[in-house]
Amino acid sequence: MRLLLVEDHVPLADELLASLTRQGYAVDWLADGRDAAYQGVSEPYDLIILDLGLPGRPGLEVLREWRGAGLSTPVLVLTARGSWAERIEGLKAGADDYLSKPFHPEELQLRIQALLRRANGLANQPTLDAAGLQLDEARQCVSRDGQVIELTAAEFRLLRYFMLHSGKILSKIQLNEHLYDGESERDSNVIEVHVNHLRRKLGREVIETRRGQGYRFTGDGL
Amino acid sequence: MRSIQRRLSLGLVGVLLVVGLILAQGSLWLFDHSLRRYLQEGLENEAQTLMSAIYRGPQGLQLDERRLSAGFQRPYSGQYFRIDFAGEAWRSRSLWDRELPQAAEPGLQAALADGPEGQQWLILRADYQRFGQDISIHVARDYTPVLDSFQRLQRLGLLLGGVALGVILLLQRFIVRRALRPLEQARQQIMQLQQGQRSQLEEQVPDELQPLVAQINHLLSHTEDSLKRSRNALGNLGHALKTPLAVLVSLLDREEFRQCPELQGALRLQLEHIEQRIARELGRARLAGEVLPGAHFVCARELPELFATLEMIHGGHLQLSWQASADLRLPWDREDLLELLGNLLDNACKWADSRVQLTIDSHAAGCRIQIEDDGPGIEPSRRELVLNRGSRLDEQVTGHGLGLGIVRDIVDTWGGQIMLTDSALGGLQVRIELPYRTP
Repeated sequence: MRLLLVEDHVPLADELLASLTRQGYAVDWLADGRDAAYQGVSEPYDLIILDLGLPGRPGLEVLREWRGAGLSTPVLVLTARGSWAERIEGLKAGADDYLSKPFHPEELQLRIQALLRRANGLANQPTLDAAGLQLDEARQCVSRDGQVIELTAAEFRLLRYFMLHSGKILSKIQLNEHLYDGESERDSNVIEVHVNHLRRKLGREVIETRRGQGYRFTGDGL
Repeated sequence: MRSIQRRLSLGLVGVLLVVGLILAQGSLWLFDHSLRRYLQEGLENEAQTLMSAIYRGPQGLQLDERRLSAGFQRPYSGQYFRIDFAGEAWRSRSLWDRELPQAAEPGLQAALADGPEGQQWLILRADYQRFGQDISIHVARDYTPVLDSFQRLQRLGLLLGGVALGVILLLQRFIVRRALRPLEQARQQIMQLQQGQRSQLEEQVPDELQPLVAQINHLLSHTEDSLKRSRNALGNLGHALKTPLAVLVSLLDREEFRQCPELQGALRLQLEHIEQRIARELGRARLAGEVLPGAHFVCARELPELFATLEMIHGGHLQLSWQASADLRLPWDREDLLELLGNLLDNACKWADSRVQLTIDSHAAGCRIQIEDDGPGIEPSRRELVLNRGSRLDEQVTGHGLGLGIVRDIVDTWGGQIMLTDSALGGLQVRIELPYRTP
């Protein structure tokens, strides 16, 4: 999952970057509204966390521009302006959720999870369920029929992306784009290696290879 | 203050009545005066004719009856005379059995004398010296026909005057109304301002009203600007305080703090206090208090957006509904009322199982807002506590209390009341009674 964090307060951004990275998200960070307006539409983000009080351009204006350009990526607005009038304004501009500062890191984590599931048409439950597997995003492990299987950070990130896009064909390029932030070096072999690790832990049929197209998560049951 | 229209009417009627009466009476008097002058000449002529009709006959002085006009012969004809000399008095036949009163001074008598058959006599006395004797001649003429016609004239004048007054009043009303139309327009626009149907007065007014309208508009925009500015400044202050708070709250999640849960807990509690205090005080400072004309709460416009927001926040499992008459406008600041409803509905959504309902009823003296849910509700014994907590610094509590604290601040500012009761839906009902301000 690749996120864009737009926040001008450096200490807060640092904290959020660290905690989001711990949760297995690839995060790009921008501090200026003008950069965000451009990069939000040019890179394939799965979710954008947008602070409204930005230098350069106001966050709401950036958001309106994104929505005007047809960007459908879920946007979580992060703001100190928590009045209901401003919340309504934010949601009218096209925000999908609204979190007032200060907030607990877990609250942010839950909101991000919920938004990502909603964006992919999944029910908001404590665990991410797809094809007989239950992914616990807080503990970063997966279970099947009550049997818990531990995952490495890289495996967790890959599996979460697969489970959020269950049944869809995902190319290696797409996986690369969504699992690593803009500054990581991308190597398609790494994906291959992690897919193989997942197959070893969960069974070969979990992810099928479509030659020339990419991978498809099917789970056991399909 | 009475209306300008009525003041002008009363003033005009008064002036017209006084001037009209003086004019009418004065012209009658002048007319009467000149008529008497004219009649005086006639009477003097008659007296001279009588004088010349006197001749010395065989038995002393005699009156030549043939030279007298016929009016002196017919009884009560309206023409009379009386000739006095040397203890003798001749009377015209027309006097019949009446006496012609003698005047003290020669000349036309100012006072009319009473005659028979309701006649009023105008009497002239002329003194002559003839045939070695003092001869005093009184000539009288009935003045009633003139008086009668005066009366008719008076009545006619009164009637005409009355009609003229009515016409003038109508015209004046029309003219004044035309002249005051800009004032009336301004009055209606101010009414619309109060009802929140417009935010500025029309600038196209006559010169006399221009400064007033311009000043009102200036005040309105000034107040609106300063409210906006202060809200913006408060927003900035909130931003400046809350962002570092968010950093601190995030820092507390670090591994180092997890090692000492006691320290982490204490810090977190204090941070929460700071956070709530800031939110409460900023919320209180944001309150507009008095509503500005352009910022009324239009239910049909605001509620759908508010409910869309709530649905987005609380997901699709809740059935949210609102009831308010289609054109209901509430005369309180839009942002304040949104804050009130938002907080209460948000609370209701947090506790509801499946339904949240908002009902707004307006009546003559105020409006009633009811927010109901089908959640667990609050026990009667704890309701007072829930309402009051958060109102004192040392009683800050998390979650539920804060939103209600801000709600309470708003309701108190507006002089309303808030009550917690059981809902027909099974959960809690928050009922708020807000009185309308009388302008």
